[in-house]
Amino acid sequence: MLKTLVEKEIREIIGSPKFTYTFIVCLVLILLSFYSGAVSYKDNVTHWEAAKAENLQSFEGIKEWYRVQENRIFLPPQPLATLVSGVSNDIGRTSNIEPSGEVTADDSRYNEEPAYAYFRFIDLEFIFLVVLALFAIMLGYDAICGEKEKGTLKLCLSNAIPRTKFLMGKFIGAFSVLSISLIISIGLGCLLLPLLGVHLSSEEWIRLGLIVVAGLLYFGLFLAMSVMVSSFTQRTATSFLILLIIWISSTLILPRVAVMVSGRAVDVPTVDELGYQKAMYATEQWKSFLNSLDNYTPIENEDMEEVMANFNKFMDSISIAREERMNIYRSRLNEQRYNKELERSQIAFALARISPSSSLSLASSTLAGTSPELKDQFYQQAKNYQTSLKEFLNEKTGMNMGGGFIMTISESDAPEKDPIDPTEIPQFKFEPESLSKSVQKALPDFGLLILFNCIFIAGAFVSFNRYDAR
Amino acid sequence: MLHTLIQKELKSITVSNKFLVTFMICSLLLIMSVLIGINEYKQAMTQYETVHQMADERIQQVSSWHSVSYREHRKPSPLMIFTSGLSYDIGRWSDINRESTVKLKNSIYSDDPIFAVFRIIDFTFIVQIIFSLLAILFTFNAVNGEKESGTLRLIFSNAVPRTKYILAKCIGTWLGLLIPILIPILLSVLIVMLFQIEFSSQEWIRLVLLIFISVLYTSIFIVFGVFMSTMSRSSNVSFLLSLVFWICFVLILPRGGVMASGNIVSVPRIAEVEGMKVSFAKNKWENYYKDMDKRLSGSEHNDDSEEDGISDDMMWANLKAEDSLRKEVTREIEGYEESLLEDWKNKQKAQQNLGFMLARFSPAATYQLAAMSLSNTDISLKSSYEQVMKDYREEFNSYIDKKSENAGPGAGSIMITMDSDKGMDLKMGRDEAIDVSDRPQFVHPKTQLSKILPDVIVNISILLFMIFGLLTGAYFSFMRFDLR
Amino acid sequence: MNENNKQVILEAVNLTKKYDDGVLALDNLNFAIYENEIFAMLGGNGAGKTTTINIFLNLLEPTSGDAKVCGVSSHIEPLVVKKNLAYVSENVMLYPNFTALQNLDFFSQLGGQDSLTKDHYQEVLIRVGLAEQVHNNKLKGFSKGMRQKCGIAIAILKDTKAILFDEPTSGLDPKAGYEFIQLLNDLKGEGKAVLMSTHDIFRAKEAADTIAIMNDGKFLMKEKASTLFDKDLESLYMQYMAGHAPQPASEGV
Ligand SMILES: Nc1ncnc2c1ncn2[C@@H]1O[C@H](COP(=O)(O)OP(=O)(O)OP(=O)(O)O)[C@@H](O)[C@H]1O
Ligand SMILES: [Mg+2]
Repeated sequence: MLKTLVEKEIREIIGSPKFTYTFIVCLVLILLSFYSGAVSYKDNVTHWEAAKAENLQSFEGIKEWYRVQENRIFLPPQPLATLVSGVSNDIGRTSNIEPSGEVTADDSRYNEEPAYAYFRFIDLEFIFLVVLALFAIMLGYDAICGEKEKGTLKLCLSNAIPRTKFLMGKFIGAFSVLSISLIISIGLGCLLLPLLGVHLSSEEWIRLGLIVVAGLLYFGLFLAMSVMVSSFTQRTATSFLILLIIWISSTLILPRVAVMVSGRAVDVPTVDELGYQKAMYATEQWKSFLNSLDNYTPIENEDMEEVMANFNKFMDSISIAREERMNIYRSRLNEQRYNKELERSQIAFALARISPSSSLSLASSTLAGTSPELKDQFYQQAKNYQTSLKEFLNEKTGMNMGGGFIMTISESDAPEKDPIDPTEIPQFKFEPESLSKSVQKALPDFGLLILFNCIFIAGAFVSFNRYDAR
Repeated sequence: MLHTLIQKELKSITVSNKFLVTFMICSLLLIMSVLIGINEYKQAMTQYETVHQMADERIQQVSSWHSVSYREHRKPSPLMIFTSGLSYDIGRWSDINRESTVKLKNSIYSDDPIFAVFRIIDFTFIVQIIFSLLAILFTFNAVNGEKESGTLRLIFSNAVPRTKYILAKCIGTWLGLLIPILIPILLSVLIVMLFQIEFSSQEWIRLVLLIFISVLYTSIFIVFGVFMSTMSRSSNVSFLLSLVFWICFVLILPRGGVMASGNIVSVPRIAEVEGMKVSFAKNKWENYYKDMDKRLSGSEHNDDSEEDGISDDMMWANLKAEDSLRKEVTREIEGYEESLLEDWKNKQKAQQNLGFMLARFSPAATYQLAAMSLSNTDISLKSSYEQVMKDYREEFNSYIDKKSENAGPGAGSIMITMDSDKGMDLKMGRDEAIDVSDRPQFVHPKTQLSKILPDVIVNISILLFMIFGLLTGAYFSFMRFDLR
Repeated sequence: MNENNKQVILEAVNLTKKYDDGVLALDNLNFAIYENEIFAMLGGNGAGKTTTINIFLNLLEPTSGDAKVCGVSSHIEPLVVKKNLAYVSENVMLYPNFTALQNLDFFSQLGGQDSLTKDHYQEVLIRVGLAEQVHNNKLKGFSKGMRQKCGIAIAILKDTKAILFDEPTSGLDPKAGYEFIQLLNDLKGEGKAVLMSTHDIFRAKEAADTIAIMNDGKFLMKEKASTLFDKDLESLYMQYMAGHAPQPASEGV
């Protein structure tokens, strides 16, 4: 009996022009997103490498290590980031690292190439979030009330089949056809990646697989919701209108409003305010630095070298002290802001998760490594890099780099030195979050998606059992 | 006759549930978006004022003319309430000083990526996505729905010409939809007035134009829906077709256009351009230091041969000469950077223009481009600010130069001399509080309406052309519509 | 209840239905239909015929009373009841994208007849008067009468003790209408009980064993067709509907 129902459902779906159209459009869009993702990833890699080479070249011809006063590091492109762009185009991707001082990142893609900010990118997440959800609605909005409008529901129910079985047939039929066709489309898309020369590591495949699973769950959720709505409405037009409102509010409105409202609820000091506080503090420190410099009396000694050494030691001591104070001050401010930010994002995302679209967005961007945390990760690693750069330069020059003053005695008769080897400068390596950590973070969202699925399926059964089938 | 037909159209629309729902959704969303927009604008305004004040305070703390640096911020425009455009994507400030060239940094989204996760919702977005969708929903079964319900045959059993019928259909639905669209729009304008957001008269004109193109844009989809309803005999098929086209035209094509142009015209990333600049600069400085070493060792020689105790003033003058040499190098580097950036920007512009041209095949893109340029939140926001800031920097720097000249040599500098006889000597330059109150004032860029008008007119004509094209499409397709 | 040792198949006991908006669609209705019996309900639009059928199908719950099939109440054991019911609606709608045979296949499997073959379907379709060349056409190209024939075929294939017809002859051409009466007689011969609502007085008189005239949820008249044999049913109907009955309506059996 169930088999008959499922068979009929599958045959009906596959035979309908609706399915043909949506399947073709879906396939094209998914392939397009994979294609454009692969192309822009390769493009990103080319430009990233060019920028790195350019940076390395800038050290050419330098003969003294102390002239290496800064190094530019770049957030490397990630293949998954072009499929789920998240905030990767919004945050600064270049950082100018000096041995001391604040680490900041500049050159967000949208700031530098605002043409892309107009409409943003077509990525897999967008296709899942907006297009697939719409298609799920289109395929499910008339599941029950459509049969009623057609007049077949009455005839079906005049037979001795329990309503639960009837609905189960619908669900199984629809889910199997649609998920298989979706998986085929996505599979073809995945095939495009290696064909276009983008090779993912096995870990990245797992991440991509999980993103696809999240997308399928999201699709299933909208399908279940559509069936549910169609089983408490009498007319397909009404059902579609209701679903459209839900779609608009859950994908377009709710997440934004949640973030904006709760984002404003927590008062996070702006970066500018922090910047000025730091600048004022720096000015203060500079003044006291000058004062202590004023009080310095050079030692009386015949030997120039010794005078110099003494002076350098003195300079080192006061500048290290100044630097330390500034560091403490800065990190205190930064930490305060970070904590506030954390609080804000927790509230905002908790609220936004009322809408399953947010769950999908957050889960997929976490897995792709493009969630807002990317900014902190880059910042943290850039700071670590700063330390290692400083240590490296200190060792090379034997001075405290970044202290503010460098005193050297240039001897005109000294032999020409060989240029430094810029490849010795430590390389910046960006370590994405580990897979297990990402999965752990994405787990609640998966749970929510599954929960929503269950709720809607259960809701569909409850409301169909009370459905007026006349 | 036409009158009767239009009246019937209007009546059947206004009594439907769809009408009520549409009206509610439109009002709710627009009011919400405008309230959010006002809140954002006010927030941005207070922030602007605070940081502006802070910048003023900070510059007063500076004691040396050499280290005077100013930070100029972008001022939010009130029209961002309606079209936030790129205002969250573009950097908010630039340092104005001798060392670094003008560059807008720290966009809101890069500072607080949490807002970038779902982006901001505004009036333009709602019109672009939701109004168009609702318009399609209203009209996808305009003609074939009547066929399905059987009324079409009844109507044409009377002496009704097809032309009149299709015309009445378009006008009637258009008028019917105008109510649930215009009233919420006007409501949102009213709210803006209630909150006493200051608009200049030019901004009012811009707002009126924005509303005008919003109505035009929605009209496209009304006519499009009618067109689709004449294309197929079954309303299910026309519904599907319209939705698929909607997805393609509103969601895909604009993005696709820009992305395709990105692949056609290759433009280096800013990181590369900056890298080239840094390379050049490092090279220059390296040479400079080499020369300086030579110069210094040369003067040391002189010291030995001549009598001891050259005057301090002489030393300061030496330093000053060094300083001007340094400035020379800076200027050279800046010149190079300028030409690099110029080149880069031209390439980027070519890419942009191609991208926008491709995207304009979509009414949604055309509308968005027009709305952004009307609201002053498009790409020109960045270029105009950068231009004005660059000019300001010149002015500011020459002001600083003049001031430090007047302040005399050595103000705010440290001189350390080493002498094998006298040992080491540290000298501070004169250090007085400096007065910057007479510094040049920054004037925020104002794009004249007349400047963007040609662009807006082009966009409006594209929209009008689309409406006209769809109308003729609907007409011819209805002429061949099977009434049975 | 028993009449000539025949078994009661369809039975309404004090059947009352009051809609939520207060309309009293069925007012304490009683009747019994035996095997080998064709029961025709006549009555104006809105008399309550479809409501009666819907209650038997458990698409509606009765406000009070019972609609029983083979002694089982439809709202208590709907699945058992539906095993013994076939139904043809007043405007048969089938899956438009399926062919006639596919529709028949699906519905007869749904009705528990899973051993039937294509030949069976074609045989029945021809029996109800659907030409063989359209059997493999999609339903969306069918006229109302063709759909009606498919609906009847589905009901025959289900092979149940009781069949509910809601205006089965609407949309049928005269020939098909005539053939339908033959078909009804065949079904009756197989021992089925048939409940049929109709507006076609002549066909009702021709085919039915019992005829009831319904108005406002009540039977104004319920007579054996044989007793009406020499009366003019149409003028009788008109008289009843006009509100002045020629004789008191006979209540109960
Ligand atoms: N869902 C409903 N809600 C309220 N009243 C209803 C509903 N369905 C039917 N009715 C009312 O119940 C009464 C009987 O309706 P029913 O459909 O049974 O009539 P019918 O005899 O089948 O008429 P027809 O010959 O036109 O098919 C009518 O007065 C009708 O208005
Ligand atoms: Mg009826």
